[in-house]
Amino acid sequence: MTAHDLYLILPEIIVLLAAVGALIAEMLRSPRLALLVTLAGLLLAATQSFAFIGMHATAFSATYRIDTLSVWSKLVLLPASALCVLLARAELRHSDREGTFYSLISFTTLGALLLAAAGDMLFLVLGVLLSTLGAVALVAYPRNDAATEGAMKLFVFGSVSGAIMIFGLTYWFGATGSTFLNDLARLDPTSLATAVGLVAVIVGLGYKASLVPFHFWAPDAYQGAPVSVAAYLSVVTKIGAIFALAQVLRDVPMASAWPAIIAGLSILTMTYAYLAALVQNDVIRLLAYSSIAQSGYFLLAIVALGRSPLALPSLIVFAAAYAAMNIGAFAVVATTGRTLHTYRGVGRSAPLKGVAMVVFLLSLVGIPPLAGFVGKFLLFGAAIDAHFTALAVVAIINSVLALAVYLRIVVPMYQRAETAVAPTSGSSPAASLTTAVWLIALLLTLAIGLAAQPLLGRLG
Amino acid sequence: MNLIAPIILAPLAAAAVILLLRRASTVFALAGVVASLLSSAGLLMAVMHGSSYQVIMPGLPGMPLLLLAGRLTAVLAVVVAGIGALVFVYAIGYMKEDAEKVRFFALLSFFVAAMQTLVLAGDWLLFLSAWELIGFSSYLLIGFWFQRPGVGASASRAFLYTRTADLGLYVAVFLLVAQHADTAIATTLAGNNPTTVLAGLLLLIAAMGKSAQTPLHDWLQRAMVGPTPVSALLHSATLVAAGAILMIRVVPVLPPEARLAVGLVGGVTTVVTGLIALAEADLKRMLAASTSSQYGLMLVAVGAGVPLAALLHLIAHAAIKSSLFLGAGVFQHSREDTAFTNLRGVGRDHAWVFSGFVVAALALAGIPPLSGFFSKDAVIGAALAAEHAYLLAPLALAGTLLTGAYMARALRILWRGDTHAGHVVGLRWMGAGIAGVVLLAAVLGATFGALEEWLGAALPTTILAQVSGLSAALIGLALGWLVPAPRLFGPLYRWAQQGFTIAGGIDALIVRPVLFIARLCARFELSLYTGVLAIGRLGMTIARAARCGDEQGIDRAIFALAHGSRRLGARVAALQDGLVHHELALAVIGTALMLAALLAGVLYF
Repeated sequence: MTAHDLYLILPEIIVLLAAVGALIAEMLRSPRLALLVTLAGLLLAATQSFAFIGMHATAFSATYRIDTLSVWSKLVLLPASALCVLLARAELRHSDREGTFYSLISFTTLGALLLAAAGDMLFLVLGVLLSTLGAVALVAYPRNDAATEGAMKLFVFGSVSGAIMIFGLTYWFGATGSTFLNDLARLDPTSLATAVGLVAVIVGLGYKASLVPFHFWAPDAYQGAPVSVAAYLSVVTKIGAIFALAQVLRDVPMASAWPAIIAGLSILTMTYAYLAALVQNDVIRLLAYSSIAQSGYFLLAIVALGRSPLALPSLIVFAAAYAAMNIGAFAVVATTGRTLHTYRGVGRSAPLKGVAMVVFLLSLVGIPPLAGFVGKFLLFGAAIDAHFTALAVVAIINSVLALAVYLRIVVPMYQRAETAVAPTSGSSPAASLTTAVWLIALLLTLAIGLAAQPLLGRLG
Repeated sequence: MNLIAPIILAPLAAAAVILLLRRASTVFALAGVVASLLSSAGLLMAVMHGSSYQVIMPGLPGMPLLLLAGRLTAVLAVVVAGIGALVFVYAIGYMKEDAEKVRFFALLSFFVAAMQTLVLAGDWLLFLSAWELIGFSSYLLIGFWFQRPGVGASASRAFLYTRTADLGLYVAVFLLVAQHADTAIATTLAGNNPTTVLAGLLLLIAAMGKSAQTPLHDWLQRAMVGPTPVSALLHSATLVAAGAILMIRVVPVLPPEARLAVGLVGGVTTVVTGLIALAEADLKRMLAASTSSQYGLMLVAVGAGVPLAALLHLIAHAAIKSSLFLGAGVFQHSREDTAFTNLRGVGRDHAWVFSGFVVAALALAGIPPLSGFFSKDAVIGAALAAEHAYLLAPLALAGTLLTGAYMARALRILWRGDTHAGHVVGLRWMGAGIAGVVLLAAVLGATFGALEEWLGAALPTTILAQVSGLSAALIGLALGWLVPAPRLFGPLYRWAQQGFTIAGGIDALIVRPVLFIARLCARFELSLYTGVLAIGRLGMTIARAARCGDEQGIDRAIFALAHGSRRLGARVAALQDGLVHHELALAVIGTALMLAALLAGVLYF
C-alpha cells in the first residue's frame, strides 16, 4: 500500500469520512450538520473524481480499478446520491435519527462505488454486502409495517443471492487459482465451474440490478420505503451493480456464451416489467417496474462489451440520463402523490411540474431530444454493432410498450380534475427543496439530451 | 386605406367573436355585415371616381393571391352586403326563440365573408377556395336544424350535387392555369384558343350545379328545410348567385358555341323549373323552383352575349326573391307550415306583409315601374337581339309568362280562404327587414340606367321587347289567377309536381353511388376498428396474465398479512413462512434455467 494508492481512492475515502462525519453530527443532535457534511462530502468526492478522467490505473496490486467505468460511476452516482439526500431532507425532516439516514446513504453509495470499481472478486462481495446492508436499513427507516416488510424482502433476497454469488465465486477461484478479475480470462469456457460461477455472479448482481426473475423485492421495497429511498435504490445501487457486471463480464471469455444469457435476460426483463407496469395503479410500483425494465436496457450495453466500441460510452451515457430522469420522476411523485388518480389535472393546476413530469416520462420512453433518447440510441447502436440486431429490435418494440405505460400517468395529468385539488403546501421549505430537485433533474435531462456530443467526446 | 379588407374581414371577425363570446350574437353579426356594407359602399364610391383597388397576398410561388375591385365586383359586393344586412335584420326576429342562435349567426356571418371573398377574388386559387367555402357553409346552414328528420339528408344532397358539378370548375381552372401559367383570372381569360371552349363548357357545368340549372335543379328545392333567412340569402345574392356571377365574369371570352350552350341551358331551365313552380304544393319549394327559373333567364342573357342584362336581373332578383322568402317566413311562423293547403287566406292575417309580398311578386312577374320590369325587359331584349334569337327568345318569353302564372297562383291561394291569425314572435324585426328589401325591389329599377351607363355597356332594348315581355307577364298573371294549375297541366300535373324526374333523375347518377361508397367505407372502417380493438384486448390480456403471475397472488397475500397480523414478530414469521419462499422459488427456477442453458451449451457445442 502506497501513498499513490490512497490518492487513487481519495473520492471513496472522502465519502467514507462524510459517512462517519454524519454519524458524529447525529451524535451532536444536529441533523442539519449531518446533511451539510454528507452533501459536502459527496460533492467534494465528485469534484475530486474529475481529476481522474481519462486515467487507467489500478490500486492495491490490481484489486481496485481506476478506469473509465469506475471514474464515470463516481461522476454519475455521487451527484445522484446528493440529489437523493436533498429529497430525503424534504421528506424526512424532523424525523427521528435523521443524521443516521444520511450516513447510511454515504455507506451505501460507497458500496455501489466499490462494485463499479471492483478488480477483485472480494471487492465484488464487499460491495454487494455494503450496499445491501445499507439499503435494507434505508428501506426500514420509517419503522412501519410496509417499510419493514419491504426491508425484510430485500434482506432475504439479498442474503440468498449473496450466498449463491459467493458460492459460485469459489468455483472460479478454484478454476483460476486467483481472485483477480483479470485472471478470469484464463477460465476454460467449456467447463462446469465457469458456468456455475457465471450464473452465480449474474444472480448476485442481477438481484442488485433488479433483473427479472430476481426483481421480486423491488416493487415492495420501493413501495414501503420513503420516496427518496425508492429513487436512491432505483438509481445508485442499480447502476453500481450493472457497472460491476460490466467489470466482471468483460474479463470472462466470450466463448462461455454469457452474451446470449445476458441477451435473454434483457428481453425477459424489459418485456415482463413493462407488461406488469401496464396494470399498476400505484405510481411508485409503476415506476418500480419501469426501473426494472430500464435495467433490461442497460444489458444491451453489457451484451456488446468487447464487440463494439460503443458499449462503454452507451452504458455511461444511459446511466447518466437514467439517473437524471428517474430521480426527477420520483421527485415529482414525492410532491404529488402515490396513486394515479391524484395526477388528475396536475398539468393544469401546476403547469411547470406537469411539463417536468412529461419530460421525465418521455425521456424514459426515449423520445428525442431528451436524455433518454441519446442513451437508448447509443444502446441500440451498440447492440446492433455487436450483431445482436434481434435484441435491439425487441428493445425498440418495448419502447412502444413503454409509451403506453408512461402515458398512463401523463394522460390524467391533462384531464380536468374531478374535484378542485388544493395545491399541496406550495411554499413550505420541504416542498421548495423537492421542487429544486426536480428542477435540477429537468435541466440535466434536457442538457444531457442536447450535449450528448461533447459528453461522448469526454468518454473518448 | 384599403377598403377591400374590411369587406371580408368584418363578417369573418364577427363570426369568430360570436363563437368565442357566445353572447350578443345578433349585435356582432349585424355590426359585421353593416361594416361590410359600409366599406363596400365606400369601395363603390372610390371605384366610381376612377381608382381601382387590389390586394396582393403571398400565395404559391409565382402565383400570388389577389383581391380585385373593379366596377362589376364593387357593385356585386354592395348587393351581397346590402341584401345580407336586411336579411340579418329579419333573422333577428325570425331566430328570436331558437336555442342555437349563436351557431346560426356565426355561420351566417362566415357565409357572407366567404361570398364576399368569391366576389372580390382576382385569382383562381382564391376563387376556388371561396367557392368551396360557400358550398361548405351553405351545407352547414341548410342542415342547421339537423336534429329534425330528413334535414341531414337534404343538406348532404345539396352538398353532393354542387360538389359533383364543382369537378367541372376544378378541371376548367386546371386547364386555364396550365395554359397560361398564371392564376390571375384576368390573364387566363385573355386570348382565344381551343381550350377556352372546353374550359367554358366545364365552367358552365360548375355554374349549373351552383345555380341549380336543369338537370341539377333538384337539390335547391330540397334545401328548403333550412331556416327561412338562410333560404332568402342563399337564393338571392349568394350561393345560387355564385354560378351566375361566374358566368357573367367569364362570358366576354366565351366563344359563340359555348355561349349558345349557356343560353340553351338557361332557356330550358327557365321553362322546366317554371312549370315545376306552377305545380308545386309548397310555398317555399315554389319559390325555390322560381329561383332556378330566374337564374335560367340570367343565363339566357349571358348566352345572348349581354352579361349586363344578366347582372341587372341578378340584382333585381336578389331584392325581389329575398322579399318573397322573408314574407314566406312570416306566413310560415303564422301557420307553422309552408304547404299551400295550410296557407289559404294567410295574406289577410298579415295584410302589411302580404302587400309587400304582392309588390315583390308583381316585380318578379315584370310589371312596371317595379325593378323586375326593367331587368326582365333587358333580358328579353338581349334574347331578341341574339344571334340565335329564334331559340332563345321564345324560351325567355315562356319563362316570363310562367313567372307571372305561378306568382298569380300563389297570390290567389294566399289571399283566398279563412283567416285565423297565429301569434308571430319577432314580427317587428322581420317587418323591418321585409320593408327594406321590398323597397329595394320596387325602386332599384331607377338605378339601372345609371348603372348601365357607368358599366359602359349598352342594352339592346326595343319597343318590341317591352311590349312582348309585358304582354307575356300580363297573360301569365291572368292565367295563374283565373285558371287552376291542374287544369293548365292536364295529365302532366303529377309529373310536374314530382319535378319532371326521369328514372329517379340525377339522384341515381350522383347521390346513390356516393352513398354506396360511403357505406362501403364505413364498413371498412368498422372492421378496421374492430381489428385494432382486438389487438388491444390481446395486449391487455397478456398484461393481466403477467399481473396474475407476479402481482395478484402476492398482493393478496400481503393484504391478508397486513390485516391478519398486527405484531411485527408475527409478521416476520408469516413473511418467512410463505411469501418470500414463493418468490425465491421463482428466482431459483430462473437460476436453474440459466445454468441449464449454459450446460447445454457446454455439452452440445
